[in-house]
Parts: sequence; C-alpha cells; structure tokens
Amino acid sequence: MTSREKILASIASNKPSLVTMPNVPIFEGDGSVERFKNVLESIGGTAVELTTKAECQEAIDKYYHDLVNVASDIVKANVSINLDTNKDILEQVDLAVIQGEIGVAENGTIWVPESNMLNRALPFITQHLVLVLDKHNIVANMQQAYDKLEGVGNYGVFIAGPSKTADIEQSLVIGAHGARSMMVLIY
Amino acid sequence: MSHQNHPELAEAFNKDFERTTWHDETLWFVRQKRDKAVYPIPEFQDLRTLASEIKDHTLSNLDNYLIEFEQNAIKNGVKVHWAADAVEHNQIVMEIIKNSCKVEGRNPRLVKSKSMLTEECHLNDFLEKNNIDVVDTDLGERIVQFRNEPPSHIVLPAIHLKKEDVGETFYEHLGTAKGEKDPQILTEAARQHLRGKFVAADVALTGVNFAIAETGSFVVCTNEGNADLGVNLAKVHIACMGIEKIIPDLHHLSVYTRLLARSATGQPVTTYTSHFTKPVEGKEMHIVIVDNGRTQQLGREDFRSSLKCIRCGACMNTCPVYRRSGGHSYDFTVPGPIGAILSPNIDLHKHKSLPFASTLCGSCSDVCPVKIDIHVQLYKWRQIVGQANELPAAKKWAMKGMAKVLSMPKVYDLSGKLARGALRILPHGLTHNESMNPWAKARELPDAPKQSFKEWYEENRQ
Amino acid sequence: MLNTVGVFIRVKLPKLIFRPLELKNMKVALFIPCYVDQFYPNVGVATLQLLEKLGVEVTFPMKQTCCGQPMANGGCEQDSKGVYEHFVDIFADFDYIVTPSGSCTYHIKKHYDIIEQTPAVQKIRKSVYELIDFIENVLKIEEIPVDFPHKVGLHLSCHGQRGLRQANASEITGVRDGQISKLLRKLKGIELTELDRNDECCGFGGMFCVTEEAVSARMGQDRISDHLRNGTKVLTGGDVSCLMHLEGIVKRQNAPIKVMHIAEILNGNQP
Repeated sequence: MTSREKILASIASNKPSLVTMPNVPIFEGDGSVERFKNVLESIGGTAVELTTKAECQEAIDKYYHDLVNVASDIVKANVSINLDTNKDILEQVDLAVIQGEIGVAENGTIWVPESNMLNRALPFITQHLVLVLDKHNIVANMQQAYDKLEGVGNYGVFIAGPSKTADIEQSLVIGAHGARSMMVLIY
Repeated sequence: MSHQNHPELAEAFNKDFERTTWHDETLWFVRQKRDKAVYPIPEFQDLRTLASEIKDHTLSNLDNYLIEFEQNAIKNGVKVHWAADAVEHNQIVMEIIKNSCKVEGRNPRLVKSKSMLTEECHLNDFLEKNNIDVVDTDLGERIVQFRNEPPSHIVLPAIHLKKEDVGETFYEHLGTAKGEKDPQILTEAARQHLRGKFVAADVALTGVNFAIAETGSFVVCTNEGNADLGVNLAKVHIACMGIEKIIPDLHHLSVYTRLLARSATGQPVTTYTSHFTKPVEGKEMHIVIVDNGRTQQLGREDFRSSLKCIRCGACMNTCPVYRRSGGHSYDFTVPGPIGAILSPNIDLHKHKSLPFASTLCGSCSDVCPVKIDIHVQLYKWRQIVGQANELPAAKKWAMKGMAKVLSMPKVYDLSGKLARGALRILPHGLTHNESMNPWAKARELPDAPKQSFKEWYEENRQ
Repeated sequence: MLNTVGVFIRVKLPKLIFRPLELKNMKVALFIPCYVDQFYPNVGVATLQLLEKLGVEVTFPMKQTCCGQPMANGGCEQDSKGVYEHFVDIFADFDYIVTPSGSCTYHIKKHYDIIEQTPAVQKIRKSVYELIDFIENVLKIEEIPVDFPHKVGLHLSCHGQRGLRQANASEITGVRDGQISKLLRKLKGIELTELDRNDECCGFGGMFCVTEEAVSARMGQDRISDHLRNGTKVLTGGDVSCLMHLEGIVKRQNAPIKVMHIAEILNGNQP
C-alpha cells in the first residue's frame, strides 16, 4: 500500500458522515474609492487619484524622479524585464509600475495576475512598487473580488500595501523583504 | 531526555515578573488590534460560522477533495507527493532537493518561508544533517533559527524576544553594531542578508494556507513577501501541506481570506495572498501532502474539529495562560490552546499536562475564526488523560476521595466541619505553609466560618 | 464576603410586591455550592434573603452537597457520576434550582451529559439557573431598590459570561453589557469601574489554582491591578470561586478593596 492509499483509506474510515455544505453568500458592502484609499493608507500604502490612465507617467515623474531603474509596461521603462530575465538584473530594479486588476475596498488589496507582472519575481524584488488600478474595478470585499475574478490563472497575488513585518517586539517596520513602498494610481 | 511539564516551565517563566508583564502586554496588544479589525465588519460572526461549516463539510468529504485537488494539480504540471508521517515527509523533501539540484562542490541551498508543518516534522535538522543548507526567511523564523530555538508562536515566532535580544543575535550573526536594538535598523540588516540568500537559493519551500480542490491551486499568505521572493527566484518550489488545508473552491477561499489576518494580527488582510497554480516553463513545483497523525485525529469525534484550524494564532494572543507562560512552556510545535488539543493526539504521555494548562475560560473558542470549541476539547482531553491513568497518583486518589465524600451528605457535612475547625485552630504559618499549600504562595485562604450555610439554615429556618 | 464570621446583618428592604403569576405553585430550590456552604455561608444567606424579598418561596434541600465540577475539571469526570446522581436525586422534584454560581450552573447544564439522560436529568439540566439569570429572566425583575453609593468593579466569571452567555464577550463585540451590570447600574449611588480588560479570566480555574499556581496567581494579581488602577472600591461578581481567589490576593496585598458577592449587594448588605 502506498502512503497515498494509506492516507486516503484512513480518511475514508475516520471521516464523519457527510455534512452539508453551507451556502456562502456574496456579502454586500461599501466598495467606494474613498474607503479603498483610507484602508490602503492605514496599511502603509499610498493612493493617488488620476483623471485618466495617461496621467500615470506624469505621476511617476513627480513621485519617483529620483529612482533610476524602472521596469514597466505602462510607463517609460529603462530596464527590460521578461519571463527570462535573470536574477542579477531583477535585483537592480528600483521601481516596478504594473497593472492591478481588482481592488478591494475592505482591505486595500489589489489582484495582480502573472500576466501583468512581466516576471513573477518583479513585484517582490523591486525596491518600490506602483500598481495602476481602474476605479471601476474596486469592489467591497473578498467575496465580490473572487466572484469577479475568472479563475486565478497560473499564478496571481493579492497585494496589500508595502512589504512589512512586526517580528521584532511587534514594532511595525515597512520594507521587510519585498517592496519598501507601494503606491496605487487610481484612474 | 527529561521532559518538563507545563506548570514547571510556566513557573520558571513567571520568575521574571517584569518580563512576564511585557510578554502579556505585547500579546494583549495584538488581541486588541484584532478586536479593532473585527468589530467594524458587520458579518464577521456570520463569516466565522461559514468558515466553520465549510470546514465541517470539507472534513466529511476530505478524501474526495484531496483526490480532486491532486488530479487538478497534476493537470497543472505540479508533482504531488504523499507522506504518511514526518519521517516520510522529510525524506521526500530531501529527495526532491537532491534530484532537482545537482550542484558541484557545495551544498544545495534551500530558502524556506514559514511552515509550521515542517517545524512539526523537524525538517531543518534533518536536511542539515544531510548536507543541505537551510535558511528560514521569515524574519521571526530567521531570528529563532540563528538562536537555535523553536518558534514560540505560530504567527509571531520570535514574540518571546525583546529587541535587545534580537540586537545581540544580529550582532553575533549579521555583524550589526553592538547594542543596536532599533527594529528598523535590525530589519534592514536582515533584509540585506536575506536578499543574498534569496538570489543564491536553488530551491524554495513554502507552507500552504489553503489548497483549492477545484483548481489544484494553493494559497500562501505572508506579510514580508518572503514566500514569493524565494519561490519566484528559485528553480524549484516545494509546498508542504497537511491534509486538512483543503477547501473546495475559490468562493470558499474568500471567507477565509477575510478572517485570517484580522484574527491573526488585526490587519485587514495579509500583504501578500499568493495563489500558485502552475509552475513557470522550465521550473518545478512540488506539493507534499502530509498526514502525520491527522487522520487519527479525524477519527476522534470529540477532537476532529481541531483540524479546522487555520493557524491564525488568535487563541494564543487571547489566552491569559499563554500570555503569562510563553510559547516554549508548551514544548510542542503549536503552543497555546490549540496546541493543547492537538498535542495529546500525537503523544498523550508527553503532553498530558497541556489540557490542564487552561482555566477553561473559553476565550479561545470565542476568538477562533473557525469556531473550534477549544475549551470544550481541553475538558474532554482531561478526561482521557484521567482515564489513561496519566494523572499524578496523589491527585487521582484525592479526586476519588472527594467524589466519595461529596456523594454522601453526612460525611460531607462532617468533613467540612472538621476542616473548618482545623483551619480555625491551626496557626497561620501552618495553614499557609507554601510547600504544603501552593494556594498560599500568593493568596490568603478564606476565613473559616464557625457555621456552614447548612448549619445556619438549620438554626434559623427550620 | 468579609463579614465577621457568623454575624449576618439584616437590612430592611421593602418586601417586593412583584411576583409573576406563573411562579405561584412553582417549587424553587436553593442550591448552595459546597465551597460557598463551607467558606462563604453569608453569600448563601444573602441569596436566600434576596430571593425571599423578591417574593420567592425557596426550599433548601438539606442533603445537597456539590455539582461535581471539581473532580470533572480535574480529569475525573467518571468519578463524579455518583455526585451527579446524588444531585439529581436531591433536586429532581423542583421546577427551578437557583444557585449563586454561574460556574456550577454551567457545569450541570453542559456536563451532566455523561449520566443516563433520564427525564429527571433532562429536567434538571433545564431548570438550574444562576441567581441573576433567574431574577432577570424568570422573575422578570429589572431593578432592585438598593442604595449602594460605592465604586464597584464587576468581575465577570467566564462560566457565567461565556459559558451561559450572561454577558457579552469582548471577542464578539465591543459593547460591554450583561445581566449583572444591568442590575448593578440601577442601584442608587453606584459608580461602575471601567476596566482596561473587561472580561479577562481571574485565573482561578478550579484545580488550576494549585496545579498551575504561578500562572493562576499572576492572573489574579493582574486582575486586581486593573481594578486598583481604575478605582474599584468594592469588587463583585457572580461566582464565589473567582471572588475567593481574588479576595485571597487582595488580602495578601492588603489592597483597599472590599470583595462582595453580587447577592450580598443586591440583598442590601453594605461593605
């Protein structure tokens, strides 16, 4: 008997009789831009509202003019990143500007699928992260978010603010391993 | 190896009054953050009920969901392994590493994000003995790894340490300035140190918070970004999961992602909620599905709901005993109330003091996001410890004696009278002798009245 | 609870006129838990007097002993069966069993499931009431006319609060409210202490208080500090077991706090 068979047999003999699955509703809630911004700021992110997506470049020039190596398929980039980019180049990225798909007002998180990342490591290895988000794609809570998503693809991440830790005496420190700062440009 | 029980370790912890205060307050602060994150969500209690019921359903159909998960994962190009116990789990992980990374002249390098399962299996020791370099990348885990200590909390591994302790450890291992204790500076030092490790790693290992049967995906939640950074830079990803991590589909996942971080740290959600489904072309993804006592717990009707645990640690933060005895006093991978109902399933003899390391106040059950009736299970484990003859002999016979007395009213009345009489006559120094009466170490005994209520009633009302 | 031993002060209270119709012809028993009987008879007296003032005819069965909780919490539930059966024998004939202890009430309701569920056992598990629950939900009394011009700190017993749901739990809601505080708030002249931690366990825990002495004592000390910090002069609660433990600490520390059971306060006793 393989371990697989052993485990499955043991479950079959030890599990209780079938319990009904509850009906999980899609809860209502406030999915406003305002709430999204407030929550995002409470978790260490920054939100900037734009009139159109075209203003992204202007915003990046304004807020990140001191950063050298920028990777993006939305604004002007000077580091070219793709699936095959090696670690040495990825490590040099100062700023990544990428598209977010769905924002969640309740917790300030944004869905970023692999297809938007240029390289799976980019949103994490970059020193600073900017996500660009269409305000019409902000929903109230996670039920609504997963409902809106059509599957999670090969790889995708909900990102909520910059990387952080409180592992030393519960003191919050922004910028653990991932991005040191995180801005959302909402249009 | 001699094994200390919870009361002894807790007593030692309490010797340092100030540090106990600090530990209690630090964790209470986390509990308060949790409250602030929970109260404003109107459907929070409904979510707890749903989370509990989804898991009840899933556990009752666990074998089929695991099979569904496996089939979908395989379709996604993921290699699925099954381990009956810790030994097999460790062996599998080692073989994946050795087979997939043929490096010359140096050890294979593994970076790990937090996984309580691998702690449970003592994977690090095993791999290191087999010439694999292991680096824990969660900051708290890295700190305790440097110090050669086990984590003292499942979400906050280094919560028992003060910043001065961490400063000392980093001075020793990372060359930070002597006496440096600023969390910002210490975290930056760890960031620089670990970036090097991420880039150099051959294999990355993660735990699994949730595994989705419908898609064959698994979800990993972190705040630091260490799981994604490790996995996306290494050639091989190994994810280790207990069989109970399964949930049916993404819609159900939405319930748990609303509960987990709020319950754990009071954040509205973890910074990164990462969904892994398919490996990148040319890379490998492995899932190791582990039993290690879980199917046995599934068979224990009174205790099976402990498998619903999503490892948020809220029961630790709220537990007045945990806060005043520290995670290490439990001497089990998962400490606190949930650990006290999981551990007897693994080794009743070794962990027999844990179900008694509680006042049964019930705060753990009320805080639990999946509504495990932890305090009820503590009570039930006590009975099993009692029946397995694992109680100290003196306690056992005292209980039997007491039960006899209390079922015979006349004997009860008389023994009460005699005991009160004795308490009234004997000198304070004797009745409050600390070695004979632990009560009296910090407390006075109640005054022994001349009359019991019964005697008063007889005299006044009959 | 610090009353001089054996001396019980009778306080004149207007005998309450109120008595729900359905309570006539109801047989109400008083259950005084073992440690209250032996060490805090005055809490028993206050409970009895209070119920009488509220118009309840109370019987006290003389052969009662204990609910069996101490052994059961110690892991010896099976040894308690005889005590459970004795309890059932003594109280089976009553419509209500009232006791000044949330903890014993909870134990009977929750853990008398290991003996045969005869009609008598089922009835007892339903008819046992903690005193304040009985006053508010059976007698339907919302206010007791007593002057108590003191700053009072309420200790919520976990078995009353989380076990019997007699008070909100902070894990569930930020609203601090419950059966005891509802009655207390209406006493004349009273001021209630706002605690930092409204419902943290005192650390008594039955056998826990000796088997885990260090943590138990520390928990009790921390509760007392919270009360001292926030100005409690009279510490009260619904369970004598918690209060016995807390009073033990108060006395050891010579803290300026008087400990009284809620029955004593509602009975009109003064600190």
